[in-house]
Formats: sequence, C-alpha cells, structure tokens
Amino acid sequence: MSLGLPRAVDHGLAACHVCGKVAAEASGACPRCGSRLHIRKPNSIQRTIALMASAAALYIPANVLPIMTVTELGVVDETTIIEGMISFWRSGAYPIAIVIFTASILIPLLKIVALVWLCAAATGKVAPSPAMLGKVYWLTELLGRWSMIDIFVVGILVALVQLGTYMSITVGPAALAFTGVVVLTMFAAMSFDPRLLWDQLMNMNSEPIPEASKPLD
Amino acid sequence: MKRRLSILPWPKPPGGPHRSVCHFCDTLHEAFPVPEGTAARCVCCGAVLYQNRPASLVRATAFSLTALLLMVVVHWFPFLVMDAAGMRTTLSLTSAARSLFEEGSPIVGSAVALFTIITPVVISCGLIYVCAPLLLGRIAPGAMSVTRWLSRTEQWNMIEVFLLGVLVSLLKLAKVADVQFGTGFWAFAVLMLCMAAAVASIDRDELWDRLEVAKS
Repeated sequence: MSLGLPRAVDHGLAACHVCGKVAAEASGACPRCGSRLHIRKPNSIQRTIALMASAAALYIPANVLPIMTVTELGVVDETTIIEGMISFWRSGAYPIAIVIFTASILIPLLKIVALVWLCAAATGKVAPSPAMLGKVYWLTELLGRWSMIDIFVVGILVALVQLGTYMSITVGPAALAFTGVVVLTMFAAMSFDPRLLWDQLMNMNSEPIPEASKPLD
Repeated sequence: MKRRLSILPWPKPPGGPHRSVCHFCDTLHEAFPVPEGTAARCVCCGAVLYQNRPASLVRATAFSLTALLLMVVVHWFPFLVMDAAGMRTTLSLTSAARSLFEEGSPIVGSAVALFTIITPVVISCGLIYVCAPLLLGRIAPGAMSVTRWLSRTEQWNMIEVFLLGVLVSLLKLAKVADVQFGTGFWAFAVLMLCMAAAVASIDRDELWDRLEVAKS
C-alpha cells in the first residue's frame, strides 16, 4: 500500500488540528493560530478507550432505568427507551419505531463496537484496512449526534404534556445516563486519530514478517 | 449572478511553500489553488483536503444573518400547539430545555439548551463577526480566537436532530391530543437549512488563509 507518497510525519511536519496550517512540530505552536501542534492527537487510543468505556457503562442504566414517567388519571407508568419503542411498534407506527430503535439503541451500540474495532486496528490487534475503517470512522462521527433525539423527545413531551391531574409527564433518571452516553461517545470519536491506522499499516509493510526476520533468537 | 458574486478569490498568504496534509492518512501535498466549486482530494486515500466554495464570504455572512433573524422568529412564535382535555399548551424552543431544568434534570436541560439554542447562536454570530469584516479585507479584533472556538462548536449544533424530535413527539401525541404546527416550527425548519448552508459555505482552510492575509 505504501506508494512512496510523502507523509507529514516523516518530515517532522504537523498539520494544525484547528486551522490546518502545516508547520514543523518542533516549533511547538502553530504559527498562524497559536494552537499547540501535535503530529498525532496526544494519547489518542487511551483517551478513546477511557471515554468509550464510560459510555458503555452508562449505556446500561440508560436502557434499564425509565426515561420518562407518564401519570395518566393517577396511574403512574414508567417507560424505558425500549418500551417506548415497542409501544410505537405495537400501535403500528413502524417508521417512528425504527427511527427510535436506530437512534437510541443501534447507533450508540454500533459506535462503541466501531471504536473498539478502530482502537484494536490502530494498535495492530486487528488487520488495519484504512480504506474500509475510514468509512466506519466517518460514519461514527456523522451518526453520533442523532442519538440525542430521544432526549429531545422527552424534553418536548415534558414541556407539552402538563395537563394537571388528567395527564402529566416527568423525566426519568435514564435521561441523564443517555445524555452521558451521547456526549461521551462524541468525545471518544473526536479523540480518535484515524492517521494511526495508516501508521500501523506502514509499520507492517516496512517490517517484513517479524517472525521470519528473527529465527535465530 | 454567480460571476458577479465571486469577486473575492481565495487569496494565498505570503511566503510558502503552501502545503496541506490529509487529516485522514497524513499524506503531504502541495496546496495548489483549485477552481471555484471544486475540491482537492488526497492522492492516497481520496479524502477531501480543501474545497474552494463559490462566493464563500458573502454566502457565510448572508446565511448567518438570515439564521439570526429566523432565531428571533423561532423564539417569538410557538413550535407546536396542543389542545387536550380542554387545555391548550404551547411549545417554544426554550420550553423543552426549561421544563427539563425545572423537572429536576438540570444537566439534561443544560445539554438540550446548549445543543439547540446556544450553539446555533454562537455559530451564526461568530461567522458574521469573522466573515463580514473580511469582505472589506479587514480583520475583526480577536477574530482568530473566535474562529478557533467556532471550529470546536460546530459539531455540537443539533438543530436538525431537534427538528426530527419535534416530529416524533408530534406523532406520539397525535393519539391523545390535537397537535398543530406553529409558525415557530416552519421558521425552525428554514433555520436548520440556513445553518447548514452557512457552515458549509466556507472551507476551513480558506477562512484561515483569508484571516492570515487580512492580518499581514
């Protein structure tokens, strides 16, 4: 895959992650905007894994605890994200059920899986195939925000449905956990550096078969 | 029309060589100017390096100004009007965040306010502050720090997600109540388009090159 194309890292050059200016990393700060220069995002893998692990931990209360409480004529009904989706499905509103399922359950889960995979590939545990993993990364960054939809729906329902004793809606504890999942996975995706995938690929190509190269050890 | 608007071509800062690094695979390129309306792509992985948007400054300023005006409309008129059990409740943009706040979830309420109210205001005000003086070849005081903050704020703008949230809640409530769209909703839909257009109208590299040229 190494086509002999010049890479910034080989020249000690870093692109400023804020303004894109290319400058020598040794100079410390970007000459244009003053941000600190890094050849790679610092501690990218560790940060991504830490943020992702926190998100994965919060994913459990987000789905187990109720996201909202509906009080209708004195009857208290607590619903979780999954129950809300199922009730949409039962009432025949399939498109909304699919939207809720994708945004609230599938996307956070896929994001966590995708980031684990990306981190594994960047550290050489899995074969890095940047072309395909790049699409995974791009999709992860693109879709992350849409998970927030359930929180917005709860906010809107709480604001609208205040009908005194007839019907009222309050927020459940899962809303906080779910907001945490969305924000943490977004930060995790931002702290991952896709260039590490290419570094790994270059390393593998430049070291031809480590096992065969040192048979005398 | 198009020709008259593109009076300000993308300038290159003094000195050189001008280089661009692919943010995805780290391949080093020489940053050649590209014609308006086209993009430069990485020779290694094909990711977009930079794009030369037509009439970028004019569009960024115009769309941001429109977005700012629409925000006033959005805050003035209700989003949804619901009639149920003989009562009428209305939803405005702030009420979702506020009721979450009052119902005992201040953190969730703040997050909703941040993603749907504060971020769009910051982005549109920031773009106007940076781009309008650049149209006259000047640089506003502190424009560099503002631009730096803009690039950080961008991904937290979630008004399109909120719009879909409004639609989902509408369908959820349609069974129990009579819900109608208010003027605010339509203004919000246009606001979403304006924000997307404002952010997409100028490339990051171009904006920074312009700032650097105006400063020198």
